[in-house]
Amino acid sequence: MTTRITIDPITRLEGHGRIDIFLNDQGTVENACFQIPELRGFEQFCVGRMAEEMPVITNRICGVCPEAHHLAATKALDGVFGAEPTSVARKLRELLYMAFFVTDHTTHFYALGGPDFIVGPDAPPSERNILGVARKVGLDVAGEVIACRKRNHEIITFLGGKSIHPVAGVPGGWSRPITEAERVQIEDTARRNIEFARFSLTVFDNIVLKNPAYLEMITCDTYLHRTYSMGTVDANNQCNFYDGLIRVLDPEGNEFARYHPSEYREHIAERVEPWTYLKYPYLKKVGWQGLTDGIGSGIYTATPLSRLNVSEGMATPLANAEYQRMYEAFGCKKLTGARYQPIHHRMATHWARLIELLYASEHMLELALDPEITSPETRNIPDPARFVGEGVGSVEAPRGTLTHHYVTDARGVLTKVNMIVGTTNNYAPISMSIRRAAEKLITNNAPDESILNRIEMAFRLYDPCFSCATHFLPGKMPLTVALHGSSGELLREMRRKG
Amino acid sequence: MSAGVVIIGMGNPLLSDDGVGIAVARAVAERLRHRNDLALLELHTGGIRLMEAMAGYRQAVVVDAMLSGAPAGTLKRFDAMDFVTSKNTFSSHDTDFATAYDLGRMAGVPLPEQVSFWGIEALEFDLFGERFTAEVAAALPGAVNRIVDEIVNGRAA
Repeated sequence: MTTRITIDPITRLEGHGRIDIFLNDQGTVENACFQIPELRGFEQFCVGRMAEEMPVITNRICGVCPEAHHLAATKALDGVFGAEPTSVARKLRELLYMAFFVTDHTTHFYALGGPDFIVGPDAPPSERNILGVARKVGLDVAGEVIACRKRNHEIITFLGGKSIHPVAGVPGGWSRPITEAERVQIEDTARRNIEFARFSLTVFDNIVLKNPAYLEMITCDTYLHRTYSMGTVDANNQCNFYDGLIRVLDPEGNEFARYHPSEYREHIAERVEPWTYLKYPYLKKVGWQGLTDGIGSGIYTATPLSRLNVSEGMATPLANAEYQRMYEAFGCKKLTGARYQPIHHRMATHWARLIELLYASEHMLELALDPEITSPETRNIPDPARFVGEGVGSVEAPRGTLTHHYVTDARGVLTKVNMIVGTTNNYAPISMSIRRAAEKLITNNAPDESILNRIEMAFRLYDPCFSCATHFLPGKMPLTVALHGSSGELLREMRRKG
Repeated sequence: MSAGVVIIGMGNPLLSDDGVGIAVARAVAERLRHRNDLALLELHTGGIRLMEAMAGYRQAVVVDAMLSGAPAGTLKRFDAMDFVTSKNTFSSHDTDFATAYDLGRMAGVPLPEQVSFWGIEALEFDLFGERFTAEVAAALPGAVNRIVDEIVNGRAA
């Protein structure tokens, strides 16, 4: 007999998902899976439209990362129209992206991931939120988070040409140059961001790392999966959010692949399983072995932690120092001059996210100080003779590598659209983390609320956002846990308010 | 900008009935275009973003699709106090609106005293498309009238 536990909906998760945990007669976990309903008809919606509409259509797919979709779409258009962006256009795109990363990672830490640590995994759900964080860290932090979002949203708004849904990306460039006064504002914002990122790392240090129970939660093997790691790297093999080659390391830390995003189909395949609409991407050249880790399983991870795993140190000094500190803390050996053995403890993703926050802030300052950043040369007008009709655009979304692939006819009308969104990359690792957490924590038929929250923590660390590929049915946000017998009868139902 | 009324349409205009809040908000703003104290905003996701969007206004009117089980096209009005959530007013990437509102208060953000939420029951919400179902399309003019009436005349006793 199998008992089924359902957690539905998941509090604090963007998009709607549901966890099913199947218990056997002994009350231990038989299996666990994550199911997500899908948005329908996106490709049909796009096919037949002019390709240049995509940056403003795709940025409507998701309310959380419109900037990531806007840039991936714009880069795909560079390819379709055979138009290389100018040097300053690339920098302006990156500048918008750094401001976006700062807001997104800040919000995740203080509102989504952080409450579990800062308020505590056993605190009631009504306190385990950003208000609880502010009460613990200090009320000023609420104002700091709001101020951080505000100053960066202002920059995103003028750089992107519109608040919320940017419109400035065009094939071959960026339609909005910046003035010297705006540059000064960006520089000032970047400096404040650096301070705020350092403060956030100190909070993490003091409240999480110096608490033996939380440190144990991060370093224990409950949330450990030895998968391949993926991330975009620059010419120096250092982590880059906007552009570069995709680097994949095996679980030991050896380079397994390094390829241009346009070659993704040679490296990534998608597994369809009957219980979910979402596909499980995996490394084609390793193969699909089911939801299992290790060097023989093609499952890979694309998160802040995996991006740091594949990176030869960080490209900015303060972030690099923090990077070294994290890997040293885990006792990882150095594999090259700058890179360490990969960390597979998934809870370290929260730490890695803060290091990325610092990197994004520092890189934003570098871009603001770049002598050509106020240049008006923001666009190469596409030359019809160079029209290609196919393009792949890829960026690192905060929650994983995002790929857009468009094919058009000779008029530039879309005939095919494919996407691998950030979270989708991590669907298999998320499923494994949930199962592992359930296996380790559920030892009888009556899991209590904190145990269920710890299972939620297993996927919250991935910062998943399913509103890209899927949809959510909120209406209310309580947590419902239902226990079902093997014939589907309801054995027990527990509810709590979100 | 400050001391005015902000009408916030929520949802995704490319996702069938999910876009009804935005359509209603646009229509309300159009009907009241002679007024210079009314601003229109469109948001895809709620939570902290929604709280930030109403900062500095005297009154906020939020219109969103909802999935409450009522017949498609049903219009419901909620006060901030008894409001749980409609379809897009929370962001699980951060938090629900109530928490975001408290956060804003804690951080000293000037938030409106008057916040009302209007929900319109959706039927088709997971299919990409720019058309409403017949039920939702039919409900649209009535929703616009009621919201305009409340903004102009205040809440009926």
